[in-house]
Formats: sequence, structure tokens, C-alpha cells
Amino acid sequence: MPANKKYLTKSPIQRFAKISAGMIGGYLVTVSLHLALALWINHVDVLMTLRFGGFILWVALLIVAFVAKNGWKTWGIYLGITLLFSAAFYLGKIYHPVF
Amino acid sequence: MSNRIYNILFHTHTVSGLVISVGLYVIFFAGSFSFFRDEMVGWERNESVVESDFQDIDLNVMMDTLNRRQENYGRDISFSKYYEDRRINVNLSASKDTTAVQEEKKGRRGNFFYMNVDDYRTYDYVSNYSIGEFLYRLHFLAQLNLYGRSGYLIAGIISFFFLFAIATGVLVHWKKIVSNFYLFRPRASLKNLWTDAHTALGIIGLPYQFVYAVTGVFLIIGTTIMSPPVVTFFYGGDTEKMYEDFEYDTPDYPLAMVRQDSDIDLNAFVTKTKAHWPDLKITGVNLYSVGDANMHVEVVGVPEYNTKLLGEGKLLFEAYSGELVSEKNPFAHTSYLEGATGILYRLHFGDFGGAGLKVIYFVLGLISCFVIISGILIWLVARDKKHVAPHKRKFNAWLGWLFLAVCLSMYPATAFTFVGVKLFVVDFDPSRMASIYHFFFYSWLALSLFFTFKRDNYFTNKYTLLLGSVLGFVVPVANGLVSGNWIWNSYSHGYYDIFLIDALWVILSVISLVVGLGLKGKDNSPAPVPARKAPTVNEAAFSNG
Repeated sequence: MPANKKYLTKSPIQRFAKISAGMIGGYLVTVSLHLALALWINHVDVLMTLRFGGFILWVALLIVAFVAKNGWKTWGIYLGITLLFSAAFYLGKIYHPVF
Repeated sequence: MSNRIYNILFHTHTVSGLVISVGLYVIFFAGSFSFFRDEMVGWERNESVVESDFQDIDLNVMMDTLNRRQENYGRDISFSKYYEDRRINVNLSASKDTTAVQEEKKGRRGNFFYMNVDDYRTYDYVSNYSIGEFLYRLHFLAQLNLYGRSGYLIAGIISFFFLFAIATGVLVHWKKIVSNFYLFRPRASLKNLWTDAHTALGIIGLPYQFVYAVTGVFLIIGTTIMSPPVVTFFYGGDTEKMYEDFEYDTPDYPLAMVRQDSDIDLNAFVTKTKAHWPDLKITGVNLYSVGDANMHVEVVGVPEYNTKLLGEGKLLFEAYSGELVSEKNPFAHTSYLEGATGILYRLHFGDFGGAGLKVIYFVLGLISCFVIISGILIWLVARDKKHVAPHKRKFNAWLGWLFLAVCLSMYPATAFTFVGVKLFVVDFDPSRMASIYHFFFYSWLALSLFFTFKRDNYFTNKYTLLLGSVLGFVVPVANGLVSGNWIWNSYSHGYYDIFLIDALWVILSVISLVVGLGLKGKDNSPAPVPARKAPTVNEAAFSNG
């Protein structure tokens, strides 16, 4: 039996928001998290983990984006988290540089 | 789980799964055969691998052969053995001696070729091409590299959505994992049959498929997708620094510009390394700045898998004094980088447990193919209902015919390629690669078109199996006729790799013959017009799908 359509997102704009938030936003969150961690923990280990574990996290974020009700809200949250991690990365570069 | 979430996840599973289905089938089918890449190569060339250790290779003669062909002063040369076959990879860099520019064709360009370790004949890439190499490369869609690395990217995207489909599939099936695991209703409606097969085999294969999704996406696009922001933001654009961190860099030993005329005994370095670490399997010998006073010799290897699974070892010698310069012990501490990379490779290649493990992996790979096919069929059967608009049903039916034809035709096309190449592609000349392409792609295309336009999934299923079976039985016969290595001969001579391929085809053929002949009933091809009465379906029995 195919999925019940009454539960699926009908608005094309919302669909676009969800898919783009999951794919692009999910990628940004994944990469920024690992970049921020790389400055505070052993950077080779963290960046190696990004190469395979990053995809698992990315897929999880993609699923969350599909399940969430409002795609734009997901975009907002993912961008907010990315900014947070970027700030941690920026501070790490200043106070805890690797090179 | 709320109904809303369940249905959303269900829908994303259906859509992602259907979109990647054919690509993923190709990847799994070709990939399963690739476990036997080395055996297929041995079979095809009739060169059984009897000895496979680096210390049995005479590097001195190989080096002499190279020296007779061209000037090698100032080059970096590597001999490496990635596969269990009798031809090893030889890689030559251009000479670092810039004065060599004037003398044409002497050390000007780099080169790559394969050299037979017995008769020292060399083969370039295209004339060394083989069915093994073909199927191996097909499994990451290398033949679709039409625009740059487009094929790799497509394969990567497929494995990414494969991971997504696995995760959503498990979530959708979550509550029934245990209860439906033992449920199989072959006599119920087709819908139930496909669903039971899809979920039960999906759960049995889950660890395997998860491993392949993650290692696959890592191997094919892990670096391409993840490294650009890392290079830009973390390394400030300095790619070299990243390579250094990830141990991709090759050491550089500049020329002292002093030529040495005496020959070096390269075999001695291999012997020395073997004496240093008896449990090391030597995989390569790298020469830096050949023929120069500053020449260095590096011997690399990995522990034999029965002693240690991960880690790589290296010994670096100064060539003319024979002095040990540096050592990297593979038996000591293994770093996270080495360990993680190593385990991802070993799990994907399945080469750490001998032939038995490869057979298990091969079977699990074919089971994954079946999970994909049953997924397509669930999608098809679930939409073959009276309330679905006729134009949609027509489209769905054509999609089903096409997808099944393309997927299932791979089996007879592969058998046909084995037979055709064995009988007709006997020369190792540059036309070899194109011939293998022609045999596989033209037969695959013809069969796909024929079965699509036959518009009958039952017919496609039955006759691809039977055709594959008949052609599969011809594989060992063709090999016997051409090489004289009939299946009993290769067994009694101890050519186990050649025997394995023949035996594999016989077993596959027997199974597909039994299954193909056993297929009865003409009820799984949806008619675009609701003429037939659909089998009565117990809606309440639907687990999902």
C-alpha cells in the first residue's frame, strides 16, 4: 500500500525548503561541526571521521528535515547551528590554533 | 511513531529507493562479481596464481629489462602488487634530471604499465584489460565518467541515498522487525510475497548493506565531497599540508647529480625486510632517484591478515650503502587514521578472510540485488489498482518492464561476456578493452530492449534466468576448449582460482536453471488496462510496503 498522501507535504515550496534544508543545510551542519571539533581535539582524527561518519550524520539530518513540519524553520535551525559551530571554529583558530 | 512520521518516512524510502534502484542493482551485481576480480583475471588469461609473494619476484631482472628499454637515471620507479595476479604494476615518474630535456625520449615522460613477473613482457592499461577489471570498474560506474568524474559522482550519490534508504527502511519497519522476521507467505498475494522477501532479507542483510553504504560512499566521494571546505577553512588553501596530515605525500629525495654506475641488488632489500618482519606481506618496492648517489629504496607491506588486520609498514634504505634510514613498524601502535582507513577498505573489499568469506559476501551481494528487485516489485504491485488513473498505471507498468529488463539482463549479459571474451578476444593488444566493452554493453542493451518491449515481467524473469543459466554452463566449456584447463584439470593441477570461476558459473547456472524452470504462473505482470481481476488481497495482512 503506498504511503497515505494526506500526511505528505503538498506545497512545492515547502518540499523545496525541506529537501534543500536537508541536503545543503545538513551538509553545512556536518562540516561545520567537524571543523569546529578539529581545532579542539586531534584534528586528523576528527577530519578522518568526517570522511565516513560525516555521511551518517548528514543522512540523519536529511531525515529530520523531511520529518519536521516547516522546511523554512529547519533551514533556520540548521543555519543557526552552523553559525554556532562556525563561531566555535573561529574562536578555536584564535585561541587554540593547530598550526 | 505517529502516522504522519510513518507515512513521510515510508514515502521517502519509496522514492529514494526507486530512483536509485537500477544504479544500485548494477553496483551490487558487478560489485559481487568483483570479489573474484583476481580469480576472474587468472581465469581469463589462463595464468593461475601459484606463487604470489613479492620475494619470489626477481626485481633485478625487471630493473634490467626497464634499463634496456630506456634511460632511467633520476626517475622514481615503483613496483606494486595490488592484486593477486602475475602482472605487477610498474610506475615510472619523469626524470628529475632537468638536463635530460635535451636528449629526446630519455627520461622525459612518466609511464605506467604492467609487467609479467615470469616472462617480463609488459602490457599497457588497455591491452591488460580484463573482465575482472571491467566489472570492478563498472561497480563504481567508471564507464560513466563522461564529464570528468561524473560516473564516480553518480555512484557516490547512489550510495548516499542507499544509506538514506536503509535508515528510513529500518525506521519504517521498526515495530515489526521481530514479529515479521519469521513471516513468509509465498502462497499469499504477490504483494505480500514481495513485502515479506523485501523486509526479511533486508533485515538479514542489514549489517552488510549498512557497511557497504558507508564504506562505499567513503571510498568513492568521501574526499571529493568533504575535503573542499576542509582545505579552504582548516588548511587555508594549502592542499599539500592536508596530504601530509593524511599521509598521502610521497617522500622526495632530490638528485645529488652524481651518477652511480654499479648495479644495486634490489632483491636484497626485499629479503632484508622479510627477515626484519617475517609476518609482513610485502606489497611494493619504491625506488627514489634511480641511479643517483642519493638513491633510496623503500619496501612497503602490510601484516599478514592472520597476524594483524590493520596497519602498514615501511622500511627505507639508502640504496648504495644499504643503510636503514627509517622504519615504520606495522606491528606497533596503529593510529586512528590508519585503523579507520584500513577497516573501511578491508570491510569493503572483503579480502581478509580467504575464499570462504568472499563466497559469503558474494551471496549477500546477490541477496541485496534481490532486495532491490523485490522493492521495485512492491512499488509496482501496490500501484496496480483500479482506482489509479489509467495513464499512471501505464507509466508504472512501462517503468517496471524497463527496470526489471535492465536489472535482470545483467546476468545473461555477464555470462555472454565471459563466453565471448574467452572464445574470441584472445590477444592482449590495445583492442582488448573495446572488445570487452562491446560484448558486455551491446548484449546488455539488446536484451534490455527486447525484454522491455516484450512487456511481461514474468517472461523477463524466467528467460533471463534460463538464458543466463545456459550461457553460464557454456563458460567452463569455452574455457576447456580454449585453454585445455577443463574444470577437472584445473582442480587436479591446483589452479584453484581458475577452478573457482568455472565452479561458480556451474553453481550459478544450476540454481538459475532450477529457479527458472520452477517459475510458474503468469500473474506478476501488471496489465495497464484493468482487464484481469487482481488476486484478492487481504489488506489487513499488509505489514508495510
